[in-house]
Amino acid sequence: MSAVGSRARRSASFLRPGSGLLILPPAVWVLAVLVAPIVLIGLYSVNLKTNLLGVPTAFSTANWKDFLPPGSNPFWDRFKISMTITIVVSVVTVVAAYPLAYFLAFVAGKRRYALLMVLLAPFFTSYLLRVIAWEVILNNHGVINSLLWDLGLRTRGDGIPWLIYSKFSVGLVLFYSWVPFVAVPMFVVLDTMDRSLIEAAHDLGASRLTAFLRVTFPLSIPGVIAGFVFVLIPTTGEFITPLLVGGPSSFMFGNSIQSFFTDTPNWNYGAVLALWLVAIVLVMLVLFGRYLSTDLEDAAT
Amino acid sequence: MTSAVGRLGRVGLSSYFTLLVLFLYAPLVVLVVFSFEDSYIQALPWAGFTTKWFHTAFANTDLTSALRRSAMIGLLDGLAATALGTMAAVALARRRLFLRPLWTTLLLLPLVVPYIVLAIGMVIVLHELGYQASLSAVLVGHIAISLPYSLLVVLPRLRTLDPSIVEAARDLGANPSRAFMLVTLPLLAPALVASVIITFTISFDEFAIASFIAPPGSPTYPVFLYSGTRTPSLEPQVIAIGAIVVALSMVLVLSAEIGRRWADRRLASA
Repeated sequence: MSAVGSRARRSASFLRPGSGLLILPPAVWVLAVLVAPIVLIGLYSVNLKTNLLGVPTAFSTANWKDFLPPGSNPFWDRFKISMTITIVVSVVTVVAAYPLAYFLAFVAGKRRYALLMVLLAPFFTSYLLRVIAWEVILNNHGVINSLLWDLGLRTRGDGIPWLIYSKFSVGLVLFYSWVPFVAVPMFVVLDTMDRSLIEAAHDLGASRLTAFLRVTFPLSIPGVIAGFVFVLIPTTGEFITPLLVGGPSSFMFGNSIQSFFTDTPNWNYGAVLALWLVAIVLVMLVLFGRYLSTDLEDAAT
Repeated sequence: MTSAVGRLGRVGLSSYFTLLVLFLYAPLVVLVVFSFEDSYIQALPWAGFTTKWFHTAFANTDLTSALRRSAMIGLLDGLAATALGTMAAVALARRRLFLRPLWTTLLLLPLVVPYIVLAIGMVIVLHELGYQASLSAVLVGHIAISLPYSLLVVLPRLRTLDPSIVEAARDLGANPSRAFMLVTLPLLAPALVASVIITFTISFDEFAIASFIAPPGSPTYPVFLYSGTRTPSLEPQVIAIGAIVVALSMVLVLSAEIGRRWADRRLASA
């Protein structure tokens, strides 16, 4: 019964009939481990469940009202600081990565894939280890400070105050972690761009700068936005980098959430913050999701 | 013809690229250099050359058992996530699938949900079910975050397979599951191996979930690393092990890339 002819039959013929049911085990796994907990977090955030002894469980939006403006709240302030760090890091990373992508696409020639690999290789090593390495470099008696002491540029024992446990150190390490990865979508867009458009601009008398500003750059914007989102979304929920190289002034929103589940357990309040973080990430996805086309989404359309 | 970049631009862009690559490799070099540092404190000037921290690290059973735990969880995660990812890929490769956008969104969700949320969510679920924190729970979480990576590796490969090969197997009398096992699966092998390696790495390096869920007495390797950085006497060992892991992963990444190019060239010339 080889049903030759029907294209639908042909393309799916290496799959058993009913193989669509195979979606269920992975889907159930993600539902149970990811979606169900978020629903539970929702219940905690409105006090329908609680980990606090002696607190009655009854629907209450008190924690939400306390957290959200108007009214001053240290965690809302932390959220604002955190988003500022995130947005500054994302913009700086994209600006720094663009010339890398441009170099690979237009200057590197045949070696561009090899050089892309050189750029990406550190990204594939342990994230935690790279942050630890930065702590060794930046800390008060670390590589940079002790080098300055040896060179006689600073008094021995006197570390540069903003070098670690600061917004600078958190920003630097986040930038370091993401810059190679952010170059990838921009490289792909620039590399696959129709070069004859740039040539046409030159033939019509455009200078290199004009051709870049009017042709190349506008065409590369989808890659730029994709790169921006590649760093924006993970950085929004970041808490490991501030834990290692940050301090009270530079802890991020993820650290606030963490504190409600470790140092001062109040799951109800922590749940409000966690749900707020999920909401922010979902808004980002709705805004930018169409720039993150994956092979899967191509299939969906 | 005017090229897109002038001579000055080429020099500027090349220098910039070189500088950034140096910046990217500097911390890794620092880690390796200071793993041979004699002093407890990683600072200049260098106190002297030693390999003692490697010996101390491997003699530290807390550290070696943490490494063993993470290797075990990573391996199980690699196998389970690849199995589940392949199931999802087979379903999504069908031309028609009921509620496809829903499944796609659901399976890609772990890529964007912050790990801190996932971690505290699991803490709450374990509490509700009355379970203790355990390494099995860490594994369950790791499988969820690894699944989309496996799917993204396996599905494109599945799409490139020529249906007529499988049809031939069917015409020769193989039933659908035999055709899948004997034809589709071997053709998928490179993607499956890549998926196991990638998901192993994700689990082996995962700190956020493990830091909440791993039992205090049996930390995974990243959790041990983190606590090591808070303990000055452990820091040199952390750096020694870190240097080995960084060197190994560099060798792995580069040999995978060289292997891929070699295979491409062979396929192209064949």
